[in-house]
Amino acid sequence: MHSQGRGEPSRSPLLRNPGSRMDPQLQEVLSRHGQSRSDLIPILQDAQAVFGYLPNEVLADVARHLNVSEAAVKGVASFYAQFYFEPQGKHRIRVCRGTACHVRGSFRIRRMVERKLGMKEGETTPDMMFSYETVACLGACALSPVMIIDGTYYGRMTSERAEAVVNEYLRQAKKG
Amino acid sequence: MERLTSVAALLGLKERLRAAPKRAAATLSICYTTGCRALGGVRVREAIERELRERGLCDRVALQETGCRGFCEAGPLVVVGPAGILYVRVAPEDVPEIIERTVLQGEVIERLLSLDPATGQRGVREDDVPFYKHQTRLVLRHCGHIDPKSVEDYLGLDGYAALAKVLGGMTPGQVVAEVAASGLRGRGGAGFPTGRKWELCRASLGQPKYLICNADEGDPGAFMDRSVCEADPHAVIEGMLIGAYAIGCTEGYIYCRAEYPIAIQHLTKAIADAEALGLLGDNILGSSFSFHLKIKQGAGAFVCGEETALIASIEGRRGMPRARPPFPAQAGLFGKPTNINNVETFACVPVILNRGAAFFASMGTEKSKGTKIFAVAGKVKNTGLVEVPMGATLRQIVFDIGGGILRDRKFKAAQTGGPSGGCIPAQYLDLPIDYDSLQAVGAIMGSGGLIVLDDATCMVELARFFLDFVQNESCGKCVPCRVGTRRMLEILTRITRGEGREGDVALLEEIAATVKAGSLCGLGQTAPNPVLSTIRYFRDEFDAHIRERRCPAAQCQALMRASCSHTCPAGVNVPEYVALIAQGRHKEAVQLIRKRNPFPSVCGRVCDRPCEAKCRRGDLDDSVSIRALKRFASDVDAREGLEAPPEVAKRSGKVAIVGAGPAGLTCGYFLGFLGRRVTVFDALPVAGGMLAVGIPAYRLPRDVLQREIDYICQCGVKLRLRHRVKSLGSLLDGGFDAVFLAVGAHKGLGLGLPGEEGRRVYDAAAFLRQFSLGQRMPRLGRVAVVGGGNAAIDSARTAVRLGAESVTVLYRRTRAEMPAYEEEVHEAIEEGVCIEYLVAPTAVLRSNGSLAGLECVRMQLGTADQSGRRRPVPIAGSEHRVEADSVIVAISQQPDFGAFEGELPKVTRWGTLVVDPVTMKTSMERVWAGGDCVSGAATVIQAIGGGQKAAMAIDKALGGEGLLPEDEEITNYAAKSRSSGKRPKPRVLSPAKRRRGFEEIVTAITPAQACREARRCLRCDLEED
Repeated sequence: MHSQGRGEPSRSPLLRNPGSRMDPQLQEVLSRHGQSRSDLIPILQDAQAVFGYLPNEVLADVARHLNVSEAAVKGVASFYAQFYFEPQGKHRIRVCRGTACHVRGSFRIRRMVERKLGMKEGETTPDMMFSYETVACLGACALSPVMIIDGTYYGRMTSERAEAVVNEYLRQAKKG
Repeated sequence: MERLTSVAALLGLKERLRAAPKRAAATLSICYTTGCRALGGVRVREAIERELRERGLCDRVALQETGCRGFCEAGPLVVVGPAGILYVRVAPEDVPEIIERTVLQGEVIERLLSLDPATGQRGVREDDVPFYKHQTRLVLRHCGHIDPKSVEDYLGLDGYAALAKVLGGMTPGQVVAEVAASGLRGRGGAGFPTGRKWELCRASLGQPKYLICNADEGDPGAFMDRSVCEADPHAVIEGMLIGAYAIGCTEGYIYCRAEYPIAIQHLTKAIADAEALGLLGDNILGSSFSFHLKIKQGAGAFVCGEETALIASIEGRRGMPRARPPFPAQAGLFGKPTNINNVETFACVPVILNRGAAFFASMGTEKSKGTKIFAVAGKVKNTGLVEVPMGATLRQIVFDIGGGILRDRKFKAAQTGGPSGGCIPAQYLDLPIDYDSLQAVGAIMGSGGLIVLDDATCMVELARFFLDFVQNESCGKCVPCRVGTRRMLEILTRITRGEGREGDVALLEEIAATVKAGSLCGLGQTAPNPVLSTIRYFRDEFDAHIRERRCPAAQCQALMRASCSHTCPAGVNVPEYVALIAQGRHKEAVQLIRKRNPFPSVCGRVCDRPCEAKCRRGDLDDSVSIRALKRFASDVDAREGLEAPPEVAKRSGKVAIVGAGPAGLTCGYFLGFLGRRVTVFDALPVAGGMLAVGIPAYRLPRDVLQREIDYICQCGVKLRLRHRVKSLGSLLDGGFDAVFLAVGAHKGLGLGLPGEEGRRVYDAAAFLRQFSLGQRMPRLGRVAVVGGGNAAIDSARTAVRLGAESVTVLYRRTRAEMPAYEEEVHEAIEEGVCIEYLVAPTAVLRSNGSLAGLECVRMQLGTADQSGRRRPVPIAGSEHRVEADSVIVAISQQPDFGAFEGELPKVTRWGTLVVDPVTMKTSMERVWAGGDCVSGAATVIQAIGGGQKAAMAIDKALGGEGLLPEDEEITNYAAKSRSSGKRPKPRVLSPAKRRRGFEEIVTAITPAQACREARRCLRCDLEED
């Protein structure tokens, strides 16, 4: 199954000609922040909240806004696990691999997701329905192992229970 | 709410809020943060709201959303006020009943109360529940008791009283002195004294000064900071305000993980409310003190928990640590003096100011004061947040508060300090925990994440896991960290895949030293700790992986087909034979078992079933009854008649086996299978060893045993009973090419007490042997059995059947520590055996030469021994007398080599033989050994495993390939519809009937039960990697 990995070049929905005007949504984001270097990460966070990921054009505009090089912006953005440079799926599946989740068998949940959706971590399904990643610890250790889909926590998972949850999302995705 | 312009105005408001009438007569508080929401709290809250609305109770009953109460295991939690009745695991369906019966009628609903499995009691209020009872909740005092989104709730309690006190008349220097006097040390991990840190920054030149709250709780396993931010955000803000005042900071940041949306939401609301009240901003409470606070969201980098990396991140740069000095106190955020403390540290500050440094310092140990919150998770029953005074023991946290280990497995270790920390093994269960004691045993306090590990957790795998984590999170700046952790990860991965090499452990240690020495920040300097700590305490697990390709915890997937099979010392293909039983192919199932174990009927009855303890089905509901299935299939097989074993061509190679117990017979069986000529010698008139003369017939009928021995003989094993081997040399010189020594451990260890020598004091092994061989038994009268193992219980139950007047077992520890199988103890009690715990004999009493009884002393449990079990300690003055006409001593058994002449292999200090764990080869040429004479008194299946391993090694030594028969998949059967439900209960004879004779007491399960049970297997072996 083909999936879009992180390393491949992005096809941005915001492709535009050089010199054309900045995306108004981004403009709105930038207007909420100052222009100092310490505004960079909050800007990127807000921009990602709008676009779902950080297309190259956005990074370039942010760089111009802050008067720093594009390389500096990309350098910061790529340092942090939270920023994406590829479009993400409609549903984001995150499986915790923190210590508590790990010792209580989170790898089985990961294996289930990978088998079920035919994808590896960091990938998005070709139909753009699901993105899947693992996260270091979500601080929900008391409920381990934990899976999070679109911000909803599913605690005390087994591969069997997690499969039922994913099936439910798949069913709804099919329904459209 | 109006802006407060003076301390007096604040105190006035607090007073008004405290005196204000409650909004409603009753409250329903629901824990409404991450944990309980995830467990279904959202739907419970909706149900409460709906129910109150529909019944028109909204005015009379207030619905309160609180922060985390810490008892996450039991969530969703609902507390009914004002009585404070705590309901656990509340479902939306329970809500109408709660409102009807508890809120309106004041009744308590028993089934929703928390149950203490140890006592069977249910607790009504928090204080009645062991989870809370043993805690000292200071920092967490508000958590779960206030609505974190309501500043009024906070003000109505002690909220901002500490700030009022500080601004109302303390100088910054006094505040610093107070915090210093409290002995508070940084709760983020390193434990640096907070007062000193503040003083350093206060004395530093430069303006403005910054104050940062580190809420980037990245340590996997720690979640107290999230919980405090979610449940009591104003406490963090108040602590920061006091810190800012003391140090002279005007700007502050809370650097919070973006992964904590609720925490950010509650902190944001709290900051806005505090600003509106004039508690944040310029001229706070009319004073000259100004402090502005902002939230910065982290962006997913563990290393940003490190202070210089955190600063870089706030500044909008890559979160890479830099060398210190200069320390942030001199040049921190934007090059200005900066003080960073973690959430829990700040939350301690109002407590210290409110209740005084002396109060805070009155708790804890010499160098670690106050309380500490631990995030208890992993293989423990009660997961959640636990706050205890520094110096509490691991046993208090894990057992008294945590309720013990999941599935009642064995505690192996606790991991603290996350990827920078280490493991605390069972021997330190009673160690008072503080910053320094943890350091001394190779772990660290860290932020207080405490992951409990059981015997199903592989320590090598855990070390690999942590290395994988730091490898991922290493920022890459320092080469030793970036490359060194990668190399270490590669080695550990190899070991967990069964590709470890001799010398790997030494190499790991060497790289670890380099990484520690050559890294700039804490991440790299501490990254090797989890590896070093596991090597320090669990070296044997590394060796088992490297040398035997075995994972003792049965966790490393690459080494096994399924954990049941891997745990079985004989390596029986459990999932496949269970699948055959599910399909009704019982004979084939038994044939498959025989490919690894010639004793299916025996093991179907008396195996201690390590497989079931590791069965993954047990994580869902209950492990599969593998032993009962084996028993069932082997009974069918016996009824229908065993088929003759296949003919094998004889090959050269004569092997002598000394001892016809399970180890010797198994070794002979496999060698016979490979065409070797095998003679098994035994001094006794019967074959079977302990199976024949140790285990009583009511557990293992002799005809069942004999049938299996006959089958083994059919495989080409010659038995020579009543033949005592004089020396190993005589065998080797007398034409045998190899010798397998399996003489068992039949010599009972005495009590070593005065009066022991003489009549009517029996050794358990000899007692059971004498009876099994049909020798005349003495009149027993009142029997005292000393010991707590299976031999003690077997002797006691045999004595009951022999008509003893009374039988009392004296055991020096408690039932929880008893090595005898739980079910046997239970059955013994049913049969009338009396068990006295915490009693040990000190003398055997005789009057006129005949036995009068035992002088005993009461014991109490002290601190942990090497295995984590608590040592029994005599209670002075508790001496007493136990009357007895006979005493059976069942303390310990050792191998007896006394009758051998000539050379013998090397033995350990316990008198057991030293062997290579893979080949079972002894120190002597051409001599192998297995069974109890190697392991000390152990289990049947261990003996079988040893015999099997030795057979393969002997075959190899004789020029063969040493290959076990093929036992690969026959079917790929996995039940389409897995059965649910509980394990079947086999029928057991009534105690009255049991006491009368030696009839087998447990019957096989029925065919229908067997089929259903076999279909509960999850077939872990068919899962792909």
